[in-house]
Amino acid sequence: MKSTEIRLGGTSLSGVSRRTVLQGLGMAGLAAGVSLPLGSGARAAGTATLRWWSPQASPDQLKMYQSQIATFEAAHPGVKIAFEPTSDEGYPAQLAAAFASKQLPNIVTHLPSFAAQNYYGQGLLEPMDDVIKAIGEDKYFPGANNVYKTSDGHYCGTAIGNTAADMLWLRKDLMQKAGIDKAPATWDELRTACQKMQTGGIFGAPLPYGLNSMTSLIFIGFIHRAGGQVFTPDLAVAIDSQATYDALDFYKSMREFCPAGATNYSWGESLTAFVSGATATGIYAGRVLANVTAQNPSIADFVTCATYPTKSADIPAWTFNDFPSVFIPKGVDNLAETKAFAAFLFEPAGYIPQLHAAPGHILPVLKTIAEDPAYLANPIIQKYKAEVSLMSSAAAAGNNLGFETAQHKPNLKANEIIASNVIAELVQRVVLNGEEPKATVGDIAKKLDDLMKA
Amino acid sequence: MASATRAPQSPLEKRYARLGVLLIAPTVLTMCAVIIYPLVSALYLSLFSIYTPTLKGHWVGADNYIRVFGSREFWSALGVTATWTVGTLAAQIVLGVGMALLLNQNILFRSLARSLVLFPYFVSTVVAVLIWRWLFNDLYGILSHLLIAAGIIAVPIDWLGKMPNAMESLIAVGAWKFFPFVVIAVLARLQTIPEQLYEAATIDGAGPFGRFFDVTLPQLREVLTIVILLRTIWDFKEFDLIYLLTGGGPVNNTRTLPLIVYQQAFGLNQMGMAATYAVAMMLVMLVFMLIYLYRARRAAL
Amino acid sequence: MRASRQQKSILVNLVTWALVLVISFPLIWMVVTSLRPQTELFQIPPTIIPRSVTFEHYAKLLEETPFLRYFMNSMVLATATTVVVIAIGTLGAYSLVRFSYRGRETLAAMVLFTYLLPSVVLIIPLYLMMVKLGLANTLTSLVIAYTTFALPYALWLLRSFMAGVPEDLESAALVDGASRMGAFFDVILPQALPGIISTALFTFILSWNEYLYALVMVNSDEVRPLTTGVMNMLITSFNIEWSLLMAASVMMSIPLIIIFAFLQSYLTRGFGAGGVKG
Repeated sequence: MKSTEIRLGGTSLSGVSRRTVLQGLGMAGLAAGVSLPLGSGARAAGTATLRWWSPQASPDQLKMYQSQIATFEAAHPGVKIAFEPTSDEGYPAQLAAAFASKQLPNIVTHLPSFAAQNYYGQGLLEPMDDVIKAIGEDKYFPGANNVYKTSDGHYCGTAIGNTAADMLWLRKDLMQKAGIDKAPATWDELRTACQKMQTGGIFGAPLPYGLNSMTSLIFIGFIHRAGGQVFTPDLAVAIDSQATYDALDFYKSMREFCPAGATNYSWGESLTAFVSGATATGIYAGRVLANVTAQNPSIADFVTCATYPTKSADIPAWTFNDFPSVFIPKGVDNLAETKAFAAFLFEPAGYIPQLHAAPGHILPVLKTIAEDPAYLANPIIQKYKAEVSLMSSAAAAGNNLGFETAQHKPNLKANEIIASNVIAELVQRVVLNGEEPKATVGDIAKKLDDLMKA
Repeated sequence: MASATRAPQSPLEKRYARLGVLLIAPTVLTMCAVIIYPLVSALYLSLFSIYTPTLKGHWVGADNYIRVFGSREFWSALGVTATWTVGTLAAQIVLGVGMALLLNQNILFRSLARSLVLFPYFVSTVVAVLIWRWLFNDLYGILSHLLIAAGIIAVPIDWLGKMPNAMESLIAVGAWKFFPFVVIAVLARLQTIPEQLYEAATIDGAGPFGRFFDVTLPQLREVLTIVILLRTIWDFKEFDLIYLLTGGGPVNNTRTLPLIVYQQAFGLNQMGMAATYAVAMMLVMLVFMLIYLYRARRAAL
Repeated sequence: MRASRQQKSILVNLVTWALVLVISFPLIWMVVTSLRPQTELFQIPPTIIPRSVTFEHYAKLLEETPFLRYFMNSMVLATATTVVVIAIGTLGAYSLVRFSYRGRETLAAMVLFTYLLPSVVLIIPLYLMMVKLGLANTLTSLVIAYTTFALPYALWLLRSFMAGVPEDLESAALVDGASRMGAFFDVILPQALPGIISTALFTFILSWNEYLYALVMVNSDEVRPLTTGVMNMLITSFNIEWSLLMAASVMMSIPLIIIFAFLQSYLTRGFGAGGVKG
């Protein structure tokens, strides 16, 4: 083997590898006589292909995206758009690989706001100020883009929607049967309600206890709903508090009302459990409405939602909104077309059907849309008017780990904290392994500290 | 094989030797490019701290190694990896040898039975995991319901979410997926055992068990040695099955070393640490392999 | 004596078939689930025999999802890897078995060693190498990556098969005036053909089923193979449709079922050669 020179400072692992590989492959290629398709798409002369990634890719949404794409392509000859689905669990790895290999998607939508902040902080994203201007700053609800403000005075992304991701979903029929007359507002009430409704093979709740991002994201909400926080506004670790112990205590007490397999639940399982009628309550965003309508119409008339209860009446509600984003990686080809397409996504003719593909799930961020009769005309939005309006207001006041309260500085490490599963690990260690909460929280606080410093 | 051991002398033999080198050249070049170069690079990368998306980093020397070998994560993951490997391997061998003995008998539709038994090995790990996750499903999974119907359990079992269930399920699925390898290898060997050996043993008064321990097992020793070596290595480095079935949970009770490497590299974006874990894992494998080969050779003498 | 032998035979048959059914139950259940309407799955307790049979999931996969694209990608990928590996491996194995030169034994040992390397050790540098070569996110990069595990495996199998070809045949051809390569193509290759087919099948299956490299090295739908494509497409946060997943699993296994139905003897032959001779 020839000596290889590996430089790392300038990112490159260079050397003679290319020749070595090509020699080996050249032989084989000749012998084989195959020519391999080189993958990254038909880049015929004169056409620009824009790659679009999103984890929101249910069949109905895909259909709407395709029609938006068709409209845009018709208006911009020579531009092709390739939609590629990613996933909530998979995007950190996929984007890391894409950034490292410079095989970038042109535009990424529906990732949480903290992902945008995280990548922008590493110098990997294009500022979105132009796009926001093109859409029209005054069309947004006031403050809709605040989570995207960066320390250098730009926007790292823009909101494509709001989601109230941890609403408490309820079945009015089961509540009636159990003699519960109003939605639970405190943890004690919730626990009692779950206990009463857990009969005849139906479980109380589908809370996630899995080692995954949902458990982390959902449990952060419980810490806040006990009056605590994960970080201080200056981003010092603040998880080691009585509120966290209380949240763990409650979360543990709910285990007996959740299905056995909740120890592996993520978004899909939790949603399906409520929609299929296996649990009396649910914890999810507005997609419940569309899924219930399509998959289990027999309970559709009884479904409603409330903001998730807090520990006691004096603690205000805290709703997890991942602030689905639009961002553009730095260094993509055809930047002008990409920006045009990003702004195009917000045009009413396409934006409304896109929102309608999952009614109540992705809520509009443009007030011009929220008031548009065409948007409100959707049968599901009509049928569940009260629920959709509650979710809209809850989401607008929502927060997430990258933006725990309005006073918090943006947390640029939120993405890695979620990907590391440390908070899910805390839940699992205390709830499943029965480890002592104080010591475990201390241990996790140390891990968070390490992650912040890494 | 014997013809090849002499040193080449005549012009013809020299020409042949050159041809031989020419023929092996593509193999050697490919191996250098795709195996040895990455291997050296992994060693090199493990001396840096690198952020995956930007691939920027700085030299840290042996720090990564000190951190890895000093961390609880590494040793507990090593323990988990060992538990999984030993557990699933033992199950594979028992099930595999047993099944091979049965399939060596004269049974009805023998070739159909063989196909069905071999299939799990060839089916994709992704497919195997999907099937088992569906069987294990807490609400609609058939496994719990069959057991409830049979009166063995009262409520559905949490197969993958708590210990020791998660490890046991993992070991069982691993055994199901990989035991056919043992079946085929053993079956091939069983068919070459001379019938006279069994006849002689029967005349000496050996029963079925006696015949198995006195005749079959010694005859299988060689093939089992190889099978165990290969399967140990493959099970030790297994990623797909564990990653897809439990993802390492609950907590980190099924998180084996390959999963840590993946998480470090692409979850936490610590490429250098990932390389360090990978190298450490290889060192462990190397040690075990050498010990095993040494003992196998001594046993053979 | 005769009666007891018959009884024993019945017992062996029963035990064997009971075990075979238990082992193949997951596969049977996969097929059964794939044919049920999704609504029927949400029944507690589940029924064993489906009440109605539907092919809608298969139709949906083929018509509404990129399943066929993933399938084509897997086909190209597995075929290309097989061709490359068999081409290099056959020559290499011939050289290792029939020629003598310095370093040959070391090389043979090295092959065995590389065959044992874990993928995770190689994946990171290999990935960086593809980035450097500008091959990241292409099927070519996956073919190169698959060579890391397929080539040593193929060499190991091919070596046993080549060693099994009688040397006299080759010597006779040489005496008749054939060149060494002529003898290789006219004598060795036809003799070793069953072994080569067997090795090719294994390489194909290994490549068809690979997951880890595909997960890391390609992130575009255009080049995603079935293993990662199906997981990415069907296990989502908005729905988990088990019927669809099982239908996808059945269709992913079709090439393997075909290989099994028509070429099974080649597969078992491969194991025999590799397993016994090491």
